[in-house]
Amino acid sequence: MVKQKTNFWKKILIFLAVLGPGIITGSVDNDAGGITTYSLAGAMYGYKLIWTLIPAFIALVVIQEMNARMGIVTGKGLADLIRENAGVKTTFLIFIGVLIANIGNTATEFAGIAGSLEVFGVSKYISVPLSAIVVWFIVVRGTYKSVEKIFLIFSLFLFVYVISALLGKPQWGEIGESIIKPHVEFEFNYVTMVIGLIGTTICPWMMFYLQSSVIEKGLKPDNYKYSLWDVVIGSIITVVIAFFIIVACAATLHVNGIEINEAKDAAIALEPLAGSFAAMLFAFGLFIASIFSACILPIATAFSVCEAFGFEAGVDKSLKDAPEYYTIFTIILLTGMGIILIPDAPLIQITLWAQVANGILLPIILFYIMRMINDKDIMGDYTNKAFHNVVGWSTALVLIILSVVLVLLPIIE
Amino acid sequence: MSAIKTFYLSRVLGSRIYSPELDVIGKLEDIIVDISYERPKIVALKLKTEKGHEEFDSGPFDLIKRRGKYYLVCKELKPINLSKINHVYLAKQILDRQIVDVNGRKVVRVNDLRFAMIPSGTFLVAVDVGIEGLLRRLGLAKPLKFLLKPFGLSIPSKFMPWDEVEHINLPNLSIKISSPYSKLLTLHPSDIADIIEELDRNSQIDFMNTIDEEKAADVFEELEQDVQISLLENLPVQKAADVLEKMPADEAADILDDLDKEKAEELLNEMEKEASDEVRELMEYPENTVGSLMTTDFIAFKKETTVQQTIDELRKLKPESDSIYYLYVLDNDEKLLGTVSLRDLIVSDPDIKLVDIMNQRVIKMQDYDKIDDLAEIISKYNLLAIPVVDNYSKLLGMILIDDVIFTLLKSRKRKL
Repeated sequence: MVKQKTNFWKKILIFLAVLGPGIITGSVDNDAGGITTYSLAGAMYGYKLIWTLIPAFIALVVIQEMNARMGIVTGKGLADLIRENAGVKTTFLIFIGVLIANIGNTATEFAGIAGSLEVFGVSKYISVPLSAIVVWFIVVRGTYKSVEKIFLIFSLFLFVYVISALLGKPQWGEIGESIIKPHVEFEFNYVTMVIGLIGTTICPWMMFYLQSSVIEKGLKPDNYKYSLWDVVIGSIITVVIAFFIIVACAATLHVNGIEINEAKDAAIALEPLAGSFAAMLFAFGLFIASIFSACILPIATAFSVCEAFGFEAGVDKSLKDAPEYYTIFTIILLTGMGIILIPDAPLIQITLWAQVANGILLPIILFYIMRMINDKDIMGDYTNKAFHNVVGWSTALVLIILSVVLVLLPIIE
Repeated sequence: MSAIKTFYLSRVLGSRIYSPELDVIGKLEDIIVDISYERPKIVALKLKTEKGHEEFDSGPFDLIKRRGKYYLVCKELKPINLSKINHVYLAKQILDRQIVDVNGRKVVRVNDLRFAMIPSGTFLVAVDVGIEGLLRRLGLAKPLKFLLKPFGLSIPSKFMPWDEVEHINLPNLSIKISSPYSKLLTLHPSDIADIIEELDRNSQIDFMNTIDEEKAADVFEELEQDVQISLLENLPVQKAADVLEKMPADEAADILDDLDKEKAEELLNEMEKEASDEVRELMEYPENTVGSLMTTDFIAFKKETTVQQTIDELRKLKPESDSIYYLYVLDNDEKLLGTVSLRDLIVSDPDIKLVDIMNQRVIKMQDYDKIDDLAEIISKYNLLAIPVVDNYSKLLGMILIDDVIFTLLKSRKRKL
C-alpha cells in the first residue's frame, strides 16, 4: 500500500518535470489571431460553431504527438529533419513561407497588443514599441528555464476568459445541443469561419516550436508517456479557452446582434452587456495572449530558419556569434511592429494573408512529417503504428483539403 | 566541351553516366568515398540504372561539361564490395548534415562538397558551408553573380578544407571508423564541450560513448548542467559510471544531486566503491555549505615525513597542478596542523621534517560553514585553495578557487 503510494507520487513528480512544452504550445496557440477568430465566430454564429473544437482537438493531439515523438527519438528539430530529408529546394520554399507567414502572424500579435491596450486608453504608438522592447528583453536576456516559468504563469492568466464567459450568463442548454447535434451549413461565410477556426488552432510554426522545446527539455524515450499527457493537456487548454471565448461572445454579442471586426471590439462591446469587469478581463486576456505569442513567434521562426540553413542560433549566443539569428529575429519583430504602426493599417487583410500563408504551408509540412515519421532510418523502432497512420493521414488529408479551400476561397471571392 | 579539374557534388548529382562508346548507363545518385585517406577518395558511384539502384567501382572517370551540364564518362564499371572499405555515402550521409568546424569550433551545415581531380584519383577536398553553396543548390548562384557583378559585389562564399572538419553521427554506418573524432579531440575539453552542446542528443551520446573515459570526463565537466543530466540518463550505465569515477568527487556529487534519486543510486552502485563512497559523503552536505563544494582530492603528509620523502612521494603521485600548491601536514589522528608550499620544500634541507618547516597559521573552514563566507575569506587572504576540516580539525578536503568562482557565477546567473 505504502509502496503504491510512493509510486503514485513518483509518477506525479516525473510528470511535473516533463510538463511544459505541450502546455506552453497549447497556450500560445490561442494567440491574438486565435482570439479574434473565436470572438468573430461567437459573435456571428452564437454557439453554432462550438462543435468544430472537437475535430480541432483531435487533430491537435495527433499532430503534436508526432512532433513530440520525433523530437524525443531523433533529438533533432523539425527544421533540421526537413533540411536533411527534403533537400535544399523544398527547405528553402518552406522557409520562405514560414518567414512570410510568421511576419504576418507577429503583426497580428502586435495588433492584439495595440487593441487590448486601447481598451484601457493607451495609444498604440506607445503600447506597441514598448511591448516590442519588453519582448526583446525577455527573449534576449532570459534563459530557457526562466522564460518557460514566465510563460507557464502567462498560461494561467488565459483562464480569465472563463470568468469573462460566466459573467455573460451563457445558455448551457443551447451549448450542449450544438455539441451533440452539430449544425452544418454550406453557406460561404459559415464554411470560411469553420476553416478559420480549425486553421487558427493548427498552425505550422507551432509544430516547429513544440518539437524544439521537447528537445530543449532533454526528454528521452522513457518519458514518452508523460510527454503524451503534456500534449493532451496542452490541447485541452487550447480548446477549453477557445470554448469560453466563443461562449463569452455568443452569450452577449450574438444574442444582442452586435457585429464586431476584431477582438478589441468584442472587449468594448462586452462592457454594457456583461459589465466593465468582464470587458477588462477580456482585454487583459487578449493582451497576455498577444505578448506571449509575440515573444515566442519571432524567436521560434529565427531559430528554425537558422537550424535549417546552418547558421548559429540560440538565446545564449552573442550578437557576434550568431549574426544571422539576431538579424532574422529583429527583422521579424520590427516588420511585425512596423506594419501595425502604419496609420490605418489594413489589419483584417494582414490577418487573412498570414492565414493563407499558413494554409499553404500546412499541407506541405504535414506531408513531410508523415513521411519522416514512417522512415525507419529516422525513427528506428518508433515509427507510426497502423493506428497512428490512419489517424495521422486522415487528419493530414482533412487539413490539406481545408487549407486548399481556405487558400482558394479569397481568390474565388 | 571541356575537361574539368574541380567540381561540386551538387552539380554532378543526377548527371548522366556514359560508357566510352557514349551509351547512357544511368544517372548518378550518390558518390561513395573512402575516408581512410586524408582527403577522402572517390571509390564508387551509386547509379540509377534500368535495373534499379546499384553501386559500382568508379575506376578513373572523365567529367565533361557541355552547355552548362555535366556528364560522366566511365571507362569501365565493375561491381564493388564496399564491406571492406571505410566508406561514406556523400549525398546521403554528409550533404545537408551538420558537421563540426574544428578550427572555428562550431557546428555548421554542409551546403555542398568540392572535389579535385588529379591523375591518382578524385578527392573530396573542401566543404562548402557558405551562402554561395546554398544559392548554387537553388540554382540561383550564377544568375545572382551575374546581376551583382556590375555593382562590384559578390556572394560571400565559405569553404573549409576537409582536414578541418569532423563528421558526426553517420547513420547506420556498419564499419567503425578507424579513429573517430580524432580531429575534434585535439581541441581543449572546454571547446569540445561547447561543440557537443550544439549537437543533437543522439550525436552527443554517440560521441561520449566513443571516446575514452579519461577524455570523456574532462569534456563532461565542462558541459552545461542540462546536457550533463541528459547524457547521464541516456548513456549506458557502465559508461556513465566510468565517467563519473574519473571526475573530481565534488563535481560528480553536484551532478548526481540534480539527477532523480533512483538514477543517481543506480550510477553510484555501478561506480567503484572507493569513488562512490567519496561522492556519497559529499552528497550528504546541504547545498549552501562549504562541504558540498569541497574536493576530496588533496595531498597531505604526516608531520614526521622528511622533505626528501615528500618530494619523492610527489614525483610518484604526479598530482594535478591545482592541488600541488598546497600540501597539508597532518598529525597521527589526521588533524590538520599546517601547510607546506613547494617553495618551502625546495629551499629546505632534505632531512628536515615537515613539522619543522610548516606554516602553522592555516586559514581553514569547517564543512558546515556557509558558502557565502567562503568567497570573502578566499579573497581576503588571496588564497588559491582553502582546507576544510570537521569539528575535531580533521582534514576532510579542500576547496579550489575555480569552484568558488563557478559557484558565484552560477548564483549570479540565477539572480538574472
